[in-house]
Amino acid sequence: MNAITETRAETRRKRGRGMAASWYGIARTATIDRAGAWAELDDGGTVKIVTGVTEIGEGILTVLAQVAAEETGTRPEDVTIGDNDTARSPEAAHAGATRQTYMIGNAVALASRQAREVLFEKIAEYWEVAAGELRAFDGEIWAEGSNLRMSVADAVAICKARGTVPVGSASFTANGTGLDPADGKGSPWQTYVFGTQVAEVEVDTWTGEVQVLGLWAAHDVGRAINPRGVEGQIEGGVVQGLGQALMEEYVTVDGHAATHGFAKYILPTALDVPQITCVIVEDEDPTSPLRAKGIGEPALVPTAPAIINAIYDAIGVRITTLPATPEKILAALRVQQP
Amino acid sequence: MPDMDLSCTVNGRPVARRVAAHARLLDLLRDDLNLTGTKEGCGAGECGTCSVFVDGKLVKSCLMPAGRAEGAVIETVEGLAGRGPLTPVQKAFHKTGASQCGYCIPGMVMAATACLRQNPEADLDEIKERMGGNICRCTGYTKILEAVEIARDVIAGRADASVLDADETLGESYIGHNVRRIDAPAKVTGRLRYAADMKLVDMLQMQVLRSPHPHARIVRIDTAEAEAMPGVECVITADDVPGKDGFGVFVHDQPVMARGKVRHVGEAVAAVAAEDLVTARRAVAAIKVEYELLPGLYDPEDALKPGAPVIHDYAPDNVVKHIPLRKGDIAAGFAAADVILEHEFGTQQVEHAYLEPEAGIAFVDHDDVVTVHSPSQNITHHRHMLAEILGLPINKVRMVMSPVGGGFGGKEDMIYQGMLAIAAMKTMRPVQLNFTREESLVASAKRHPSRVAYKMGLTSDGRITAVKFEMLSDGGAYGMSSEGVMRKAAILSCGPYEIENLQVDTRAVYTNNTPSGAFRTFGGMQAQFATESMMDMAAERLGLDPFEIRRINMYRAGSLTHTQHRLDRASLDQVLDAAEAASRWETGVPSVRGALRGDLGGPDTRRPCTLGARLAGGPATAAATEAAE
Amino acid sequence: MLTCDAYHRPRTLAEALALWADAPEGSRLVSGATDIYPWARDGRAGDVHLPAMIDLSGIGELRGYGFGKGRLHLAAGTVYQDFLTDPVLRQNLPCMPHVAIWFADDQIREVATLAGNLVNASPVADGTPAVVALNGAIELARLEDGEIRRRTVEIEEFIHGPGRTAIRKGEIATQVTLDTCCGYGGAFQKVGQRRSLVISVACCAALVRTDPEGRTFEDVRLALGGVGPGPMRLREAERMLRGERVEPEAILRAAHGAADRVASRSRLDYRREVVVNFVRAALEEALANRPNRAAAHDQSKETMANA
Repeated sequence: MNAITETRAETRRKRGRGMAASWYGIARTATIDRAGAWAELDDGGTVKIVTGVTEIGEGILTVLAQVAAEETGTRPEDVTIGDNDTARSPEAAHAGATRQTYMIGNAVALASRQAREVLFEKIAEYWEVAAGELRAFDGEIWAEGSNLRMSVADAVAICKARGTVPVGSASFTANGTGLDPADGKGSPWQTYVFGTQVAEVEVDTWTGEVQVLGLWAAHDVGRAINPRGVEGQIEGGVVQGLGQALMEEYVTVDGHAATHGFAKYILPTALDVPQITCVIVEDEDPTSPLRAKGIGEPALVPTAPAIINAIYDAIGVRITTLPATPEKILAALRVQQP
Repeated sequence: MPDMDLSCTVNGRPVARRVAAHARLLDLLRDDLNLTGTKEGCGAGECGTCSVFVDGKLVKSCLMPAGRAEGAVIETVEGLAGRGPLTPVQKAFHKTGASQCGYCIPGMVMAATACLRQNPEADLDEIKERMGGNICRCTGYTKILEAVEIARDVIAGRADASVLDADETLGESYIGHNVRRIDAPAKVTGRLRYAADMKLVDMLQMQVLRSPHPHARIVRIDTAEAEAMPGVECVITADDVPGKDGFGVFVHDQPVMARGKVRHVGEAVAAVAAEDLVTARRAVAAIKVEYELLPGLYDPEDALKPGAPVIHDYAPDNVVKHIPLRKGDIAAGFAAADVILEHEFGTQQVEHAYLEPEAGIAFVDHDDVVTVHSPSQNITHHRHMLAEILGLPINKVRMVMSPVGGGFGGKEDMIYQGMLAIAAMKTMRPVQLNFTREESLVASAKRHPSRVAYKMGLTSDGRITAVKFEMLSDGGAYGMSSEGVMRKAAILSCGPYEIENLQVDTRAVYTNNTPSGAFRTFGGMQAQFATESMMDMAAERLGLDPFEIRRINMYRAGSLTHTQHRLDRASLDQVLDAAEAASRWETGVPSVRGALRGDLGGPDTRRPCTLGARLAGGPATAAATEAAE
Repeated sequence: MLTCDAYHRPRTLAEALALWADAPEGSRLVSGATDIYPWARDGRAGDVHLPAMIDLSGIGELRGYGFGKGRLHLAAGTVYQDFLTDPVLRQNLPCMPHVAIWFADDQIREVATLAGNLVNASPVADGTPAVVALNGAIELARLEDGEIRRRTVEIEEFIHGPGRTAIRKGEIATQVTLDTCCGYGGAFQKVGQRRSLVISVACCAALVRTDPEGRTFEDVRLALGGVGPGPMRLREAERMLRGERVEPEAILRAAHGAADRVASRSRLDYRREVVVNFVRAALEEALANRPNRAAAHDQSKETMANA
């Protein structure tokens, strides 16, 4: 390193860290929330699940397959999900409000459990054991403390031969209440999640550019059904939060859009993302069968303030209006060091 | 329409087609060859959803004249695996969970394939750079990059191919197990068909005339010339709405198409369904609308001033919703404070930027059921509203949620399904509408821009005694989700801290800006950005570590929330501990101590991006890295 | 949406010139085509109908490069990716790989041409300052009495302002001629909200040659983009540095002089500040990027320490 770059290193690029905490409620806000699902244990030990709303990318189809498999003693690849049709599936309301795993997941769990109970009842009769002794997992069904065991496929065939299709249906409810119009008093959700993120940034004081180099995100999600999927939600939320903190801005001038397309509306690319460390905290929800909560929206909440607090740590500039663009940062540095 | 004949090789097969002279390579692939794995996310070369190989080079097919395909060898995402097993890149995407909504994924798979074909030894920085032209809005890129690194190691022979197929060992439960995404194979191969990828026999294309003015009275709409154009099957306006017009998540203040006046630039005024896209666009251009301009509102503070223009008659004060919270006695709380901080914060209007622009198909089925396929995030509510708008019994309206190429709240509003349904009923033919990116930007809701005036009182040992929190949000021209967003912003406002005395007011007002609506966190981030900034400012003032001040005030089991809900449990202590430990946080007061910190630059951080990773060992990298050291 | 009555893809320059000479008013030439489709969209030109589109990408004569009279002659079809992948171009045009890497992503670079960037004359085009620093000129061909006639125009003369150039009716750009700067260190500076694919408010290209010991500036080339209607060569700063010792003070002096050249109408404070920093950073990085610098490295360090 020569003298010039040494001078630069002192003055040009500065690093800092910041953190922020957050909280969020699960499912629809300040109202009762509901979701319905149907389940059938089908030929070959497969499962049919039908529900009114599923995938928008978050991975709920996989979560539901895991839940249905777990509840029916089958495997996720045995589960077929029929969904998203107001004329063909039970109402499950909307894909949003961090409600998919919690609302649809629990509805599917309950419906699958009911279908399994029908199957267990018939197999218990067949084996002449108490239904309470039956267990099923990963495509096999057995009676505890016995050597009675068969595949779920055979069990379904026996159940049907005895005149019963093992089906179940369920509705899951989350009991939020409205807010008092005068003082806002109310219980908007029945379960809450919390999160904390730490950001490490480097600020180029010559150009005002900020790069986020590290991001640690610890989130309570209740019981994690698919930890990798949870990470995917956190990583996606963090990068949307980073976009809002540093670059994104939809601009209108007297109502006319000035950011017409992605040439002007700047989104983060692979070059902008920090190394992200996800820490999944599982404070299980005691009020619902799956004991899961959710992560879709909460992942985004603390990112921007953590980054802005880190910028302050690095250069002593407090950005109070988003986004913290290079231009805004240079202007703030000018004020700081006239 | 003048045509040209083309011959080329696509995915190893000879292809000959006659296409329009103006066609892009993307149009040839999608419209003529039905290779819809190649997507149109922006049409302007900015997003990479349309990446394909032409003569071995990866290009954006939305920027390439179809004429250049003549004699060329073209490879699309469908051709990577063909009918064989998935490629290592595709398998790796499946393994790591690299696909979420999936809309960017064919392009990402192509970019990753190109990267590893160019340099099978590419390091992470070079991979990022070579994939820098492809945008993903769901994943945060992390699992995508992980996948490319795994595929690279397999291709380079450093890892056994079996790692791509190996799953984690199943324990005693499928809950908590990293089951691979069941929808990934369809996404990494481009097989999943989104609404814009569907084709029905006899289908018409819809285009929409949008308002060029932010606030204007519609004096007259003349559709005669458009209707007379050959190929035009119908032109619809607000007059064609058969039932009770109006939709919205909380208040039904938005007409299917502008009724009497326009309230924002980009609002739908009329729509055309025609035999093809070009005809539909020309017909839209032939519709004549006479406007009488009205004074507009562009700043939420102006909207509250006496005498401000009124945007909706039902709301003469321009207030969409005001949510108040009152708890304890803030005067007493501030009196008990040792320090009082007052600051203002602002957040900007943000676009969801899902890679899939709005799209949909409507038709009337054999049982007279009006059916709409669209990437709607709320088919239940949309069915209710559409039945009213169409004046039909609810079982004669069927909403199907097509695969959603990203939503984030932006596809909760029924901004186009009504037009599609009406056109399908008028023509008794299937009708498709695919938004352009520009249309999506001006017509869909955004995250509410907000301003927060914050006053916080604390004791010298860091306990918050009172908060006064006042948020004003720009709801834009229509109500959409504003009411719910204000409610959630209020409930979450002061963060996860027990505050005995607080006064919170959140308000959203109408303006003539692009409407604001639901967006991931629904007001939560705007509010907590202000709170979490205040917490650090307070920590500096009081000489406390940021974690410490939060622990002093945090919710615990038994805490009473801002809406006076008694919490049975609260896990904030756990996540604070977890983040502090994971980040190796060095305790201290947040007083610009970056230069003094000892916890920076660990193995869990990345190097700064300097660009030029591939000028390997080359000057750019060396110099810039040295400068950063 | 872009529509047209005819799409032509000539195979020879003569064919292209003939088509272009006869093309109806409003027809367009396309080379990389990376700008024409985005241009014909809402928010820019809206729907555009062209009588004819003449696509130059199939013309063999417009590919490749050659040397002559100490200059490098790049055929108009040279794409930005070539500056990254071709070792001869990298060696002789040391600032161009840096321009290319900032200019766009790989997929755009594979088709976007330097000549097209110059002809479009966008005030924020990344390529133009670098070309100006390389004493670039553009060759224009036209058909006259059935013969191909050519003329060459210096880039600084060629670009008149945003979207305005010296190109005449019937002319097609065929070649870009540049100084060969083998042995120079090159750099390019640009800033945006993210690390790639942004339209910069300003940019700076630099080329530096020193004596073998790295003590003295022998030649310096500096040019700015985005600070006025066209690219701007910083000749005064270049003169000031030529023959100067390589010292931080000299670099700073040259950088501060650049601020006065900012003539943009908007965001003046920001542009002025960024430009000073860009010139400084570009000079320092160009110095660091000199080939065979390792040999000179220790000595230069010593010089600095003594300074």
